[in-house]
Amino acid sequence: MKALIMAKTLLGMAPNCKKVTSFLAEYVEGTLPEKLRQQFDQHIGMCKCCGPYFEQYRATIGMIKEGKEVAIPSELVEHTMSFLRKNADFKH
Amino acid sequence: MTETARGHIDKTSLEPDLEALLAGDEKAFELLVAQESPRLFRIIHRILGDEEESKNILQETFLQAFQRMHTFRRESKFTTWLYAIGINLARGSLRKSKRMTSLDDADVERLQPSFSKGMFVESPQSWDPLKLAERTDRHKFLHQAIDKLPEDYKAIVILRDIEEHSTEEVAKMLNITGGAVRVRLHRARVALRTMLNTHFQYQSQSSK
Repeated sequence: MKALIMAKTLLGMAPNCKKVTSFLAEYVEGTLPEKLRQQFDQHIGMCKCCGPYFEQYRATIGMIKEGKEVAIPSELVEHTMSFLRKNADFKH
Repeated sequence: MTETARGHIDKTSLEPDLEALLAGDEKAFELLVAQESPRLFRIIHRILGDEEESKNILQETFLQAFQRMHTFRRESKFTTWLYAIGINLARGSLRKSKRMTSLDDADVERLQPSFSKGMFVESPQSWDPLKLAERTDRHKFLHQAIDKLPEDYKAIVILRDIEEHSTEEVAKMLNITGGAVRVRLHRARVALRTMLNTHFQYQSQSSK
């Protein structure tokens, strides 16, 4: 099976590593068309470069999503509203 | 309106009362400020990294929204339009203060993988699970790396991956196409993966 996929890749009948890595964002978002997704899965499953690369790409997104804590100042709304009351021509 | 543990606003939150806002109603603005300040402040602060300046930009954002209400064309969600004002002001402030990011587009290009005949030139090395588990260290490193990204890449990472706005919303906020958002987000993630990879490899070597 692996040999068949490798042969197809070499013959340009299946996506190579460069092509597969260009699909990463769509794959993660689940927007890759079904046929490409199957080719992606086959390639990732057998490629010793793309497998770890894909895991690292996904791990990076996970780490980014952990976010950076931003403390919200307790007086934020009042601080903004007092500025607006001075500078905005509100209708009452 | 509810907030999750991570502070993200529930998608079912109420849309602001546009007619009252257009009429310049103070109570409507007060409700808008109360609803949108936390999330908008977080975005501005993530861009600027400075609390006092972020508070000033937040004030200015709501004032500009008040003064420019008549220009809102209802082609996007009102909050998308409001956030676009805040993001533009924050980016303008960043440029003025010269607290500029330190990488440019050519650096991002250099951080993309290299291929020869469609194959990786260098095989990716697995990351050490022990280094991955050291959350504080990698968290600090990663957020310093995000701060170094070119301004538009940084804004896209903040808005898409951290604040979880849709591609379409981010495109409207930054006045670029959805395709440009997708491409830059992918390139930014790849650049960050490469920087993390270098960091982990360096750590592994120095601990030997």
